[in-house]
Amino acid sequence: MLRVSALASVLPGVPGLIYTRRAYDDLFSYYAPIGIGVFALFALAIVFAVIRYRGRPPSAAARWHENDRLEGAYALLLACVVAFLLYLTYSAEHKVDSVSAHEQPRLTVDVVASKWEWTFSYPAYGITARSGAVGDQPLVVPTGEAVRFELSSLDVIHSFWIPALRFKRAAFPGHTQNITLAFGSTGLFQGQCAEFCGLRHPEMIFSVRVVTPQQFTAWAARGGGS
Amino acid sequence: MGGAGRRVVSTTTSSLLAERRIPGWLGSLTSTDHKRIGVNLGILSLFFFLVGGVFALLMRAQLAAPNGHLVSDNTYSELFTMHGSTMIYLFVTPMAIAMAMYLVPLQIGAVGIAGPRLALTGFWIWLTGGVIMQSGWLTGDGPGRDGWFSYVPLSDSSNTPGVGQDMWVVGVILAATGLLVMAACVAATIARHRAPGMSLLRMPVFTWTAFVTVLMTVGSFPVLIFVMVLLYLQRQGANIFIGFNGAIDYQDLFWFFGHPVVYVMFFPYLGAAAEAIAVNAHKRWFGYIAFVASMMAFSALSMSVWAHHMFTTGGVTNAYFAFTSTALVVPAGIEYFDMIATLIGGAIVLRASMLFALTFFLQFLIGGLSGIFVASPVLDYHANDSYFVIAHFHYTLFAGSVFGFFAGVFHWFPKVTGARLRESLGKLQLGLLVIGTNMTFFPMFILGQEGMPRRISRYPTHPGWATLNRIETAGAVIIALAIAVFLVNLWVSLRRREAAGEDPWLGHTLEWATSSPPPVHNFDRPLPPITSYAPLLDRREAAEAQVSRP
Repeated sequence: MLRVSALASVLPGVPGLIYTRRAYDDLFSYYAPIGIGVFALFALAIVFAVIRYRGRPPSAAARWHENDRLEGAYALLLACVVAFLLYLTYSAEHKVDSVSAHEQPRLTVDVVASKWEWTFSYPAYGITARSGAVGDQPLVVPTGEAVRFELSSLDVIHSFWIPALRFKRAAFPGHTQNITLAFGSTGLFQGQCAEFCGLRHPEMIFSVRVVTPQQFTAWAARGGGS
Repeated sequence: MGGAGRRVVSTTTSSLLAERRIPGWLGSLTSTDHKRIGVNLGILSLFFFLVGGVFALLMRAQLAAPNGHLVSDNTYSELFTMHGSTMIYLFVTPMAIAMAMYLVPLQIGAVGIAGPRLALTGFWIWLTGGVIMQSGWLTGDGPGRDGWFSYVPLSDSSNTPGVGQDMWVVGVILAATGLLVMAACVAATIARHRAPGMSLLRMPVFTWTAFVTVLMTVGSFPVLIFVMVLLYLQRQGANIFIGFNGAIDYQDLFWFFGHPVVYVMFFPYLGAAAEAIAVNAHKRWFGYIAFVASMMAFSALSMSVWAHHMFTTGGVTNAYFAFTSTALVVPAGIEYFDMIATLIGGAIVLRASMLFALTFFLQFLIGGLSGIFVASPVLDYHANDSYFVIAHFHYTLFAGSVFGFFAGVFHWFPKVTGARLRESLGKLQLGLLVIGTNMTFFPMFILGQEGMPRRISRYPTHPGWATLNRIETAGAVIIALAIAVFLVNLWVSLRRREAAGEDPWLGHTLEWATSSPPPVHNFDRPLPPITSYAPLLDRREAAEAQVSRP
C-alpha cells in the first residue's frame, strides 16, 4: 500500500528550483507557532480573569468600560501582525506562482482528468499512463528538475493534488493550466482528486513514482512501464 | 432627550392582527407576533439541526473504518450534500434570524416587527423551501448530491440528472428568499421602530450583531437566489455557465453569497455570547464603540473575501483576497480584546450560559486562527478541499454557532418561556459538547494535513487514518449525547417549571424590563429611560448611587 511519507527535509541544492513543499513548510513554521501562541494567550487570559473575578458581589463589579487609546494601540498591533503575515504569504506565493511559472521545464507532462481517471501523457516520449478507477499506472517524474504539468479536464471540475508536495490545482474542462512543480526526493507518493466529481470520486487516485534523473531517462527510453 | 415615561402608541398591523388571534398551533403558525414567528422558526430550525445531525452520524458511521460499506457511494454523496445544505440553509442561518426576530424588537423597545405579515410570509416561504429540499429523498434519484455549493458543470442536468437535484435548487431558492424577507423585516424594525431615546449607538450589543447580520443577508442573499435561478435554467437546457469562464463565474457568484453567509451564521451567536458574558460578569460590555466599528469593518470585509474559496482555481487574484481575508484579524482581535476586558474587573458568576459563552470564544478561536492559515494561498494550496478545511469550518460554523446558541438559549429561555433551564444538565451538556466537538473535529486537521480529501465515502488503509477516523466517529456520538441531554433539559424544565421572574440574571437590556414571556405588545408599562446600551444597568447603578449618598 502507498504511504504518505515526507519528502526529505534537506533537498538537493538546485539553484532557482521552487519546491512547493519547502515554501509551505517555511510558511507553516511561522503561522503555526503564532496561531498556537495566540490561542494560549487568550485561553490563559480567560482562565485568569474567571478565577480572579468570580464569586464577587455584583456591586463589586468595576464601572469602567472603555479605553479608546488602548484599543487603538491594540488595533495598530493587530495591523502590524496582518502586515507581517501578508509579507510572508506574498513572498511565498511569489515563489510558488510567479517564479515557478518562469522556470524552464526539463519535462512536460499533460495531465487530463476525467470521470474517474487521470491520464498522464509524456509528449516528448510518446508515453501514456492511466490511473484511477480503471488502472494504477503511476505518474513517473525525476527528482530535482522542473516538471511542467499541463492540466485540463474532459468533463467536470477535478483537482490535481499531491499531498507530499503540499500543492493542488483545480482542473477545468476546456481549459489548460500550466503548473511547474519540483520533486525533492525519490519514493512513492500518493495523489488524488480533491474536488468532488461524482459517484466514484474516492477512486480517482494515483501514485507518483519519483526516481533519479538517470532512472527516469532509462524509464523513458524503455517507453514507460514499471 | 429622555425616553422616560413615554409609551409608544401602537398602530402597527402586528398589534391589530394580534387582537384577533386564532387559538392552538394553527394560530401560532399564523401569528404575526414576532415572538411567535421567532420561536416557531427556532423550533423548526432545531428540528432540521437534528435531521442534519442524523446525516452527519451516518457519514461518521461509514467512515469509522477504512473501506466502509455501510452506505453506497451515491448515498454518501446525498448525505454530505444534505448535511451541509440542511445545516446551512435550514439550521444555522434561520436560527440566527430566529434569534434576531425574537429579540431585536424587545431590545430596542419596539411593540412589534416591521412588516409583520411579510415576516410571517417569509417564514412560510423558508419552510416550503426546506420541505421541498428534503422531499428530494422521496424521489427515485434521491435528493441533491453535488455538495452544498453544487459547482457547475457537475450540477448541470447531463452530469447530475434527476428531479431531486432540481428540488434541491428550488428548495435553496425558497429557503434563501424566506430568510431574506425576514432579515429585511428585522432591518426595517431597527431602522424605523426604535423606542424614543434608543439611538443607533445605544442599541444593545446583540442588536448590533443582528443588525450587521441582516444587512449582510440583504446584501448577499439576492446573489444566491440569482445564481440558483440561473442554475435551474441551465438544468432545464439553457446555456448560461459555459466553459472555464462560466465555471469561475458560478463560483464567484456563489461565494459572493457563500462567504458573507458564514458571518450571518456567526454574528448573532457572537452577540448572544457577548450579552451572556456582560450580564454574568455584572459589567457592561467593554469598548462598545470599538466593538460596533469592528462589526462594521468585519461585515464590510466579509463581503470582499469570497474568492479565498477559489485560490486553487487559477481564476482569481489570490493576493487581493489573501489581503482582505487576513485583514479580518483586526476586527476579530478587537472582539476578543473587548470580551476579555469585560471579564476583568467584573463579578463573574459561572452559570451555564456563561460557560457556554466562554467556551464559544475559545472554540471559535481555533476556527478563526486556522482561518488565517487558509487565508494564505500557499497554505491553502494544500489545505483546500482537504479535511483541514472541514476541521476549520466546523470550528467556525459548528463551534462558532452552537456554543453561542446554547449560551443564548440558557440566557433567554427564562424570558421566552418564563421558566429556567436546569443548570446541572446544562453543565453536563457543555462538558459532553466540548469533548465531542474536539474529538470529532480536531483530528480532521491532522487528516487533512496528511492528505485526506473531503467528500470521499471510502478511504484506504493509510497508517493512522483509521484511528483518527474512529476517534472522530466516537466524538460525533458524544455530540449526539450532548444534544440529547439538552432535549431532556428542555423537557424537564418545561414540565416541572422553575419560575424565572422577569429579570433572573440582573440583565442589562430592555427585554428584561418586561414580563416573562413578554405580552403581545412586548411592554405593558413605560420603558425605563434609555441613556446607553445597558439601560437597566444604568438604572441599577443610579439606584445604588442614591442609596450610598448620605
